[in-house]
Amino acid sequence: MRKVKFVIGVLAIVCAVLSIFFILSSEKALVTHPKGIIADGELSVIITNYLLMSIIILPTFIFLLVIAWKYNAKNAKAEYDPEHTGGVRGELILWIIPSVVIVIMTFVTWKATHELDPYRPLKSEIDPLRIQVVALDWKWLFIYPEQGIATLNFVQFPAGVPIHFSLAADGSPMNSFWMPQLSGQIYAMTGMVTPLHIMAYETGEYTGRAAELNGRGYAGMTFLAKSTSQSDFEDWIIAVKQSPLRLTDQVYNNLVAPSEDNPIMLYSHVEENLFNKIVMKYSGLN
Amino acid sequence: MENFLSGKLSLEELPQHWYTVGGTAFMLITGILIVILLKKTKRWGWLWNEWLTSTDPKKIGTMYMIFAALMFFRGMVDVGMMWVQQSFAADSRGYLTSDHFQQISTAHGDIMVFFVTMGFFFGLMNWIIPLQIGARDLAFPFMNSLGFWLTAAGGLLINFFFMIGGEFANTGWIAAAPFSELEFNPGVGVDYLIWSLQLSGLGSLLAGINFTVTIIKKRAPGMTLMKMSLFVWTSLCGMILVISVFPVLTATTFLLWLDRVFSMHFFTTGGGGNQMMYWNLIWMWGHPEVYILVLPAFGMFSEIVATFSQKKIFGYVSMVCAAVSITLLSYLVWLHHFFTMGAGADVNSFFGIVTMFIAIPSGVQVFNWILTMYKGRVIFASPMYWVIGFICIFMIGGMAGVLQASPPADFQVHNSLFLIAHFHSMIIGVALFGIFAGVNYWFPKIFGFKLNERLDKQAFWFWLVGFFVSFIPLYLLGFMGAPRRLDHYALSTGWQPLFITSTIGFFLIVCGIITQVWQIFVSIKEKKQHLDRTGDPWNGRTLEWATSSPPPFYNFAVIPTITSHEEFWSMKKRGISIQKHYEDILLPKNTGMGIYISGIAFVVGFALVWQVFWLALLGLFGVVACIIILSLDENREYVLPKAKVAEIERMR
Repeated sequence: MRKVKFVIGVLAIVCAVLSIFFILSSEKALVTHPKGIIADGELSVIITNYLLMSIIILPTFIFLLVIAWKYNAKNAKAEYDPEHTGGVRGELILWIIPSVVIVIMTFVTWKATHELDPYRPLKSEIDPLRIQVVALDWKWLFIYPEQGIATLNFVQFPAGVPIHFSLAADGSPMNSFWMPQLSGQIYAMTGMVTPLHIMAYETGEYTGRAAELNGRGYAGMTFLAKSTSQSDFEDWIIAVKQSPLRLTDQVYNNLVAPSEDNPIMLYSHVEENLFNKIVMKYSGLN
Repeated sequence: MENFLSGKLSLEELPQHWYTVGGTAFMLITGILIVILLKKTKRWGWLWNEWLTSTDPKKIGTMYMIFAALMFFRGMVDVGMMWVQQSFAADSRGYLTSDHFQQISTAHGDIMVFFVTMGFFFGLMNWIIPLQIGARDLAFPFMNSLGFWLTAAGGLLINFFFMIGGEFANTGWIAAAPFSELEFNPGVGVDYLIWSLQLSGLGSLLAGINFTVTIIKKRAPGMTLMKMSLFVWTSLCGMILVISVFPVLTATTFLLWLDRVFSMHFFTTGGGGNQMMYWNLIWMWGHPEVYILVLPAFGMFSEIVATFSQKKIFGYVSMVCAAVSITLLSYLVWLHHFFTMGAGADVNSFFGIVTMFIAIPSGVQVFNWILTMYKGRVIFASPMYWVIGFICIFMIGGMAGVLQASPPADFQVHNSLFLIAHFHSMIIGVALFGIFAGVNYWFPKIFGFKLNERLDKQAFWFWLVGFFVSFIPLYLLGFMGAPRRLDHYALSTGWQPLFITSTIGFFLIVCGIITQVWQIFVSIKEKKQHLDRTGDPWNGRTLEWATSSPPPFYNFAVIPTITSHEEFWSMKKRGISIQKHYEDILLPKNTGMGIYISGIAFVVGFALVWQVFWLALLGLFGVVACIIILSLDENREYVLPKAKVAEIERMR
């Protein structure tokens, strides 16, 4: 009976590990299938850290099982020394082993944190495309200041070009902006601007969403990010310019009012300086 | 401030929804049943004199445990509702509205942290700390009673919205501003959260002060700091954290309340408020809080491993250093809860690296537990099962934690279900497993008979398997881009099968909980077969096993002089038993003041939720009056003459 249970247990663990790998390798696992330079860097930090930790964790696991097995009270043959301790030297060694790994990890962390800092512009010969993002209850507004257009719950940009997002919110609670395949999260806050630099490797459609609880419409606060070729992007700009919708003050004020599950909208015109106005509205004691 | 007399209260606030009517009916029926039972058995006086007004830490500990178990039931129902919703809500809205779902997740978090985990730990500390340090009671017996009753008042208030108001905060358990501001949350839900945390936070603070002073001042002669058992050490560390950070919680939530009621602008989006300040303040409390929840468990595991390995703990000094360094480091890491706020690479790296340092003492502890078993004779009694399960989960959860300490990795998993899986590994795998191990280990000491071990082992397997089936999918869902607190999602995300798997795991855990309840029933029924007559059922090492099981209400007839951190083990080795030169014992009298003050405090909390300011003011005067009356009473202790002690000891 014990043996049967043991075999079932081992089989269950093997199945679990296999299905973990299966799930992580499927395309649905967005974090493990990065399509942009930042998300790629973040994934390699995750992998490096896991590997470094495994140096200690795996042997400890085996050690735990072996010792629990061997020094089981039923095993009368095992050595028994109730006063056994490691002494000062033994205890020091136990402090040194994890310290070494952690010190290595601190260097990795320091370097990666600076390299993948959302504030840091990406190195590229191409000038970055600037896109301003405003988190509203419960939708995302994207403004292209240089192109003079705006979009709702949809953002398009060329692949291989660095994108410089500036994020803010207009009176809504704290929001987290997340496109798992392109970059990790950054908060969009009222009265403040947070930057995010990303670059997509290849063309494709990626999901983005709000990741910080902000009320009724939280689950529906998603958007589509589309990376295309440079020429497709330019064609798209021209097409949006033809759109009959214009982001006037009145339209914008309607957007600020809470609404859920908004469809994609394309605006051919946006008031100049709208983003700055949104941010500055909250500065000072008004 | 709508109405001077009734504030925001009106008849419309009575239960209307199926869940508020259900909750109210459940609470009322339970209350009526208890009253009928007490009336039939004529146990009113017994309940009042022996339990409710008691200042005996063992009894207050038991009351903490019962209270925490009741709240655990509430938190469990909450999580079941959430998981069922998430299993069905692919391309549909499920059976809960978004708002209701978010309220449930907030209540689940607050209840499990403040009332369940902390309640169980305060219960275990009340049981064991005085016994382990050779004290007869706590430093402030009345304050102990008051602390418990304030926590209970907070627990009642957090459930009171079922009866009046009908809504709880939908903000997440930390009541994150600015979402918790009036602008976004005009109802009374957030106020219920604030005032129940104010009451229970005050209770925790009083308990923290009490245990710290007790451990510092009331140790038996000869027990220097380095001769304290490890559970006492880690509890001391936890309680010092309580004293230093709970005032931050009180102040922060109070400022939030001022924002909401008096239109101040501490954390608002406009008017010069600073929302990021709230996040800093709440996590300055919130991160140490995490260690308040796990440190006492670390100490328990150390005791249990040593006892059942029948061997000295490996590296006592290391264990103490580890606990103290975790305590100190826990103050310096709060920012890792919001790397994504955009603090910049230097600040983020600093907090990330300090967080990683916590892995060093944690790793040392794991090594020490394993090495304690090395060259031991490990008896796999049921508490040992929980320890092994804990070490496995702790390593997996700890890896996830250190991973998130790295800001770039955190950007991807922050706010995702990966994070949820990580901290549930810590709260369930460390804190709850520690509590279950501790209850099974110390139950015979407090009640005089062992719990059924076979059922405990069954419960353990349900919990362990259920835990992995529930939370491994959540780790994966995080990598699939699923954020936390999501009430519905698109089918195309491919998350649904994993949510369903998680829910199956939840039901396995429920089977574990049912087994545990059944275990207690069976053990009480079979009490006679499992009586512990020696006072030392496990061949224990620390001082609590030196007295009888259950201990007399004064704990020790003669307080021993301590020579080692495993005093009872060295007594057994040297063949010494405690001398029998009895002396008069000074003991605290029972007092109902804890209940009165907490009852009035509950009314104050309720009045402030509904902005009935005259009632709140009246209540505050009542509290002050109670304290003055109490302080005028000079006969709060009594002397148990030595003849009586000798008689009680002879009868045993």
